[in-house]
Amino acid sequence: MPSSTRPPDVVTRQRTVRRRQSLRGLAFASPFLVGFAIFIAWPVAASARYSFTDFNLFQPPHFVGLANYRQMLHDDVFWKSLTNTLYLTVIGVPVGLVLSLGGALILNRPVRGQPLFRALVYLPTIVPIVVSGYLWRWLLNPQYGYIDELLRLLHLPQPLWLDNPAWGKPAILLVTLWTVGGMTVIFLAALRNVPKDLYEAAAIDGAGPIARFWHVTWPMISPVTLFQVIVSTIAYLQVFTQPYLLAQTRLNTSSGGPENSMLSYSMYLFQNAFVYLKMGYASAMAWVLFLVTMAVTALILLNAKRWVHDGSH
Amino acid sequence: MKARNRLRTIVMAAAAISLGLTTAACGSSGGSSSSGRTTVTFSYLWSGDEAKSLEKIITDFNASQNKITVVGVSSPDFQKQLASMSSSKGSFDISDNFGNAVGSWASKGILAPLDSYVQADKLDTSDFVPAALNQMKYNGHIYSLPIAVHDFELLYNKTEFAAAGISSPPATMDELATDIAKLTKVDKDGNITQLGLGNPDTGTTLTTLGYAFGGTWDGPGGTTPSPDNPANIAAVQFYQQNITDKYGAAKVAKFTAGWGQYMSAQDPFYTGKVAMVIDGEWQPVSIPNTAAKLQWGVANIPVPADQPNLAGTTQLTASTLFIPANAAHKQAAFEFMKYLTGPVGMAEFTKSLGNLPARTSLLDSNTYASIPQFSTWLQNLKSPNVHALASQPYSQQYATDLANAFKSVLDGSKTPQAAMASVAADAKQYPAS
Repeated sequence: MPSSTRPPDVVTRQRTVRRRQSLRGLAFASPFLVGFAIFIAWPVAASARYSFTDFNLFQPPHFVGLANYRQMLHDDVFWKSLTNTLYLTVIGVPVGLVLSLGGALILNRPVRGQPLFRALVYLPTIVPIVVSGYLWRWLLNPQYGYIDELLRLLHLPQPLWLDNPAWGKPAILLVTLWTVGGMTVIFLAALRNVPKDLYEAAAIDGAGPIARFWHVTWPMISPVTLFQVIVSTIAYLQVFTQPYLLAQTRLNTSSGGPENSMLSYSMYLFQNAFVYLKMGYASAMAWVLFLVTMAVTALILLNAKRWVHDGSH
Repeated sequence: MKARNRLRTIVMAAAAISLGLTTAACGSSGGSSSSGRTTVTFSYLWSGDEAKSLEKIITDFNASQNKITVVGVSSPDFQKQLASMSSSKGSFDISDNFGNAVGSWASKGILAPLDSYVQADKLDTSDFVPAALNQMKYNGHIYSLPIAVHDFELLYNKTEFAAAGISSPPATMDELATDIAKLTKVDKDGNITQLGLGNPDTGTTLTTLGYAFGGTWDGPGGTTPSPDNPANIAAVQFYQQNITDKYGAAKVAKFTAGWGQYMSAQDPFYTGKVAMVIDGEWQPVSIPNTAAKLQWGVANIPVPADQPNLAGTTQLTASTLFIPANAAHKQAAFEFMKYLTGPVGMAEFTKSLGNLPARTSLLDSNTYASIPQFSTWLQNLKSPNVHALASQPYSQQYATDLANAFKSVLDGSKTPQAAMASVAADAKQYPAS
């Protein structure tokens, strides 16, 4: 019965009920909404304001306009940290995808002990990140570490890893790629969802394993691949813990490794905020990172139309 | 239906109230007085045995008077310390840090100035070691008092000296260079097995050598970074020529990467991997406990043969006590600070930690007689050639840039001149003193 034909008292009662239901819903959602407003929305808005100020956390912020953003243009360490981060992203994302997808394809085969292999692949992901960071410091030790010991046995060059500017970023990539198990498990779930009749139809048409991968598997898992690319890219653009721990020389001091070769963008942001107490500059860096991340994500999504199969045909 | 609605309303109200109470509870802090005594919270960075020694002194202070109760909290986390001082109501009334942070923190309003308390109590600051007291000041005001100071001497392994035929420790840089060569051992594959001069901390070793060559890191007035001072470059060049270039940066890096933890049983000086180190006065306390069989000696840091006037040069660092600007009980905190930095408290504290007293009147005290070879460090504080890095707003950024520059020299990627020139260029962006 439309509201225009209902008696007025019924319409009022229904509006009251709906309002009460809305208020109840808001009340139950209020802990999250209050928490979001206090711990996320307010700090984000505050950092936008601080990015236009000279602020050391202990004295009132002093408005300086675009000075922090202009300073970035002339700050060599800023560009070094950005270059380091883009290096890690451009290499780490595709290598991580190849390793995780390759691992998932292998794990998808019906072999004995498959649950054990799956668990082993996922195990590095559940090791606490700080513990694994310190373990890797010793694994990569050029004197006693097992990595160089293995390279020595194989008669390969043994780099100085954390003490050589050329090998600092590869060391970081080793540590981050060690945890591709998380992505592998997601790809494995996607592979399990590919309808088997598509493979049968392809096999009947004479498609070999590679053709079946390119024409069946790859398009069918492409939405998951897109998700992995975006999430992995964002993670690399924000990478902090692994390079921070690997480059650390003494407790309670921050180091960027030899010639700042291991200084990621987030590490330099942390240094500016909590070591030099330049909160305004650090806030500006945070917003630049946000814009760079948005731009890169938008580029990926625009490009995705060419290779992501949406399942409509 | 009505009963269910009422119950829902009660549940929602209870949830909202508990959320409000939880949020309010997060903002509360201690420091309230009880039994007429003011409670002063002392959050300190020391831990382990050093914290135990400090707690004993706190107990003694509490027992010596009936107006103040000091509660000690061991919190060796710089970030947590800084975060606490950024809120309007602090969680502690007094804490400690190092002298080179004073200028940076004072310029940002983090520290409470102590001039009014010092003047009101007529505290005589002339007894403090001059280089230490200078670090406590910013723009002519006192912001900290030193509880202990540290200086650096040349420690050497007597057994290795005897094996290399060296009869006495080096007094000049030429002798040091000769001894480094005699004491560095390389195996048949070219890998270093013993290094003549070790490096517990690159920044400290090279800045101290800079002073020993007659240089200065903060300009003649102590307010302007001067990394490219020619004597500083000569010092870094000395290290590069006698160690890095001579034995190969990669070989040295590989050797140092395998060192055990500093001051543990696997410390490279304790285990004979390095024959000499430039290190601080805590070693005479640590070595008998950790490496009792080590035969070691100590001497003043060598100086250039043509500059004997530089004899006794050393670098001083200070452990300081400060009162944050947001402390609730500043006067009471200053009373405790006076006790800790007074002759009695300072002697007890520095003896138990194996640190040097910051008061010149304690340098000849018998308190430290039981610590082996401690007198070399003690007596060096009387030298006119005791230097300290400036405590200026730029100090922390300067320390980071110097550390990066030193590393680039040690890994062979930059010459000392280029490395120091790059720091000088960066220094133009530092905040003004």
